[in-house]
Amino acid sequence: MTKTSGAARVIAIASLAGLAAQPALAQTAVTQWDQFAAAGITAAGPAMDELIDTCEPSLDGATILRTVAPSIGIRDSYRLAVSADKTPDLAYTWPAASVLAGYARIGALAPLEDYYEQYGWDGINEFYRGRNSYQGSIYGVPMEQDLMGVYYNPALFEEHGVDVPTSYEEFQAAVDTFKEAGIVPIAFGNRDRWPATNTLSLILGLTAGLETEEEVLFGDEPWTNADFQSAAETFQSWAEDGYFPTGFNGIGYDEANALFLAGRAAMTITGTWVLQDMARGASFDLGVFMLPPIDEDAEPGTMWGEGSQWQVAAIASDDTKDAAAAYIDCLISPESREVWVEKGYLVPIGTTPEELEQWDALPIVKSFYTQGLATADTNFYDLHTTLPESVTQVLYAELQRLISGDTDADEFLTAMQASWEQSIENGERWIP
Amino acid sequence: MSKSSRLLQNIILVVFALYALTPVYLVFLASVRSEADLFSSPLTLSWPVNLTNFGRVWTDAGFGTYFLNSVITAVSVTVLVLLTAPLAGFAFAKMRFAGREVLFGLFLAGLVVPAPSIIVALYGNLQGMGMIDTRWGVILPQAALLMPFSVFMMRTVMQDVPNELIEASLMDGAGFFHLFMTVVLPVVRPGLMSLVLIVFLFAWQEYLLPLVVLQTDNLKPLTVGAASLQGRYGVDYGGIAAAGLIAFAPLVVLFLAMQRSFVRGLTAGAVK
Amino acid sequence: MLTTRAAYLFILPALTLYLVFVGLPILQVIGFSLFDWDNGAMGEFIGLANYRRMLGDQVFWTALWHNGLWVLLTLAFPLIAGLVLAAILAERNQRLVQWLGAIYFIPRTIPLVVAGIIWGWIYNPIFGLMNYGLETIGLGGLAGAWMAQESTALLSLNVVGAWTFFGFCVVIYLAAIQSIDPSFYEAAEIDGASWWRRFKDLTVPLLRGSSLFLGLYAAIEAMRFFDLVWVTTQGGPGYATEVLTTHIYKTFFLVGDFGYAATLSVVLLIIVLSISAGAFAILREP
Repeated sequence: MTKTSGAARVIAIASLAGLAAQPALAQTAVTQWDQFAAAGITAAGPAMDELIDTCEPSLDGATILRTVAPSIGIRDSYRLAVSADKTPDLAYTWPAASVLAGYARIGALAPLEDYYEQYGWDGINEFYRGRNSYQGSIYGVPMEQDLMGVYYNPALFEEHGVDVPTSYEEFQAAVDTFKEAGIVPIAFGNRDRWPATNTLSLILGLTAGLETEEEVLFGDEPWTNADFQSAAETFQSWAEDGYFPTGFNGIGYDEANALFLAGRAAMTITGTWVLQDMARGASFDLGVFMLPPIDEDAEPGTMWGEGSQWQVAAIASDDTKDAAAAYIDCLISPESREVWVEKGYLVPIGTTPEELEQWDALPIVKSFYTQGLATADTNFYDLHTTLPESVTQVLYAELQRLISGDTDADEFLTAMQASWEQSIENGERWIP
Repeated sequence: MSKSSRLLQNIILVVFALYALTPVYLVFLASVRSEADLFSSPLTLSWPVNLTNFGRVWTDAGFGTYFLNSVITAVSVTVLVLLTAPLAGFAFAKMRFAGREVLFGLFLAGLVVPAPSIIVALYGNLQGMGMIDTRWGVILPQAALLMPFSVFMMRTVMQDVPNELIEASLMDGAGFFHLFMTVVLPVVRPGLMSLVLIVFLFAWQEYLLPLVVLQTDNLKPLTVGAASLQGRYGVDYGGIAAAGLIAFAPLVVLFLAMQRSFVRGLTAGAVK
Repeated sequence: MLTTRAAYLFILPALTLYLVFVGLPILQVIGFSLFDWDNGAMGEFIGLANYRRMLGDQVFWTALWHNGLWVLLTLAFPLIAGLVLAAILAERNQRLVQWLGAIYFIPRTIPLVVAGIIWGWIYNPIFGLMNYGLETIGLGGLAGAWMAQESTALLSLNVVGAWTFFGFCVVIYLAAIQSIDPSFYEAAEIDGASWWRRFKDLTVPLLRGSSLFLGLYAAIEAMRFFDLVWVTTQGGPGYATEVLTTHIYKTFFLVGDFGYAATLSVVLLIIVLSISAGAFAILREP
């Protein structure tokens, strides 16, 4: 009797303890904001849901409360949330080194270097660590490996006897061939204002090279240098010489992609972030190549970005931060990366071409990343995810004017330099 | 009138009718097309008519929910305005009290306040009150922004209530509230109807406020839903057109059914 | 007129709502404009520095100019169209007036967001009705990217604004015409005055009050419109359709400079309040 009651008491105490402990653990809820929609850009919504289910059991009872915002809206709402001291615990919002640095500057974000060490996130290389750093601390875990490339329509290439260009001259010749045949050479639409910043970033990198870019972004070299001048002139000449459909400033990004997918344009220059839509929408076998260097001194390479980065709120409790870090670790584990690749059509940073080869990825995905990751040392910056927002707003407007011929390369760079100097004066510049 | 000038007039009437209706017709056409037809000529009516866009948008893209949200928000705003503006309008029209001119001037000033100019502070306040990402966070500011117009319009309406009627019932010993409910409201019913319609119209059309205040998809109204479709569904113009139709068809029907009340409401400020 | 304290109770609910959600934010915005802000965090008091910055802000002046131009365009097109249409309709049978009045007014019931999307398609350079129509009638050479060229962007957008506004003008003018003493027109008819003379010498002067109302209404709307630009051009191409509200939105939401956004808001408020104060002064004149 006593024994039983003793045992019963032990059980009772244990279950009481269990009851007490259970809610404490379950109380850790990580609020997550992300932009993984069901379709369109970053259409990895279902993969995200699947990974939350996969990862939650390893979080010691913590739960993830997910809010999806379209990629355009999340940029605004996150800022508002920060300003109102309601920063979501974990967010995957808007990829911009300077913007991240801005939030770090006002103390809205938690430094993550301890977690980097604890979990050994070595797949994130120096370039990406730098992009997520501010004054010696790391504030984000970048995830999507974004690359720029040239999607092309192999059927149209073959029909007009065009080979995949291996030099800039061949690229120009290909464009001329399509132009003469009455086919839009490059589907391009800039109504949404940001697509041209990607194109300029690519042209800039292949003209000026990574080193000159860093001299401008982190050093004292002005925007009005000869290499940047040449890049701006190249972009304008593309627009003037009929590389793009007429009225490109009035064509939406999605519409330009649709034009290409409908077989009405031979190429389109954009990034890996639309791989899913491209693969699903193409009625033909899709191809991709890297734009060859434009300046003869420039190295081959392409533009690197990161879709966005996981960032943790400074105001989150320590338990929440720990849970968020454990969750991030799960999201970028090899098993999860395979899910991202196979179901989310996005390739997490740190994924190797060899892994892609083994996983069930589409040929176009493998081809894109094998080519883009081959030039790791010379890959360069994406302007609109690198500059401070105040400069980005000027870039959007001035770039529309540059390619429509309402301004020239000189005036464009002068305007950029003025805005750049202003932002440095306001302490908005990010230096890794 | 000469035949030719009458012809010219008829042409003018018809041209503007086309100007008004062509875009509406175009949305209708786009809404019954399939996605693949994007680059075919814009005026082709594909046959048989394809209604799948509506079903898809209503269920998959959440327009059923958006629609419900628009109804809830617009009705709530309307009720809130209806509960407050007529009282204030009556006071301004028929009662005498210290500070009347100043208070009315305060409302008048608000007649023109642009929502974008106060959003900067409003957002923080709503956050403080815990109203961000809630229906109340849209309903209350929306009603407040419409208040000056509503009070102004109600004052105009109330001025037409005969003073004798008010005096007679006060002499019977009725209180002001009782008087308002039993004597005044029945007289101004047409005016109230106009108020309801116009406030409902404005509340339904609001975009910026819900855009800024709401984050949860399940709370968003049609205007925000339709605008976000552009980015989210790529070039699914059939879907976007169907969504657009869902967003404005109820208003068009409402307007056509209640045209007289609408017009009376709109002209209340103009003709006086 | 009754003197009573109950009046305060009658006004209280409306006033509370209005002061909490409109009045208070206005005062706060004025306060915000005097501080330095970084990414949504308030910094130090800087007095009128934001206002000085505004004087040298080219985008602000461009935006303000576009708002002004929008007023002129609205006065020049939908207002006059509304007046002419109302004058024509006034002499037609009631059924036609009902029908056409309703048709003209339908665009006003469409949310501007949706109107922007629809007209975005019409103007679209690759599949829009506008270019298609021009090509059909053999004027393909005139085809363009209407809302995406600096020269035509604002004008094209105004056509959309006018589309939602002219029906409202027709309705207001019709109501006013119907309240004019018919004997004026009968006398003119007997004198054998032409339609144009009657329009010019009778209708236009007699509708002066309505024109004034609509003009001021249009001016205030022109200062504060936002939805239409935001869903179509976001102020582009370049700065060709930038207006005060889009400049505020970008400064506030995208750049996160709440202080400068507040400054622009204060200026916008001052402008619309001055217009409306002027409006009341004028409209009160008999």
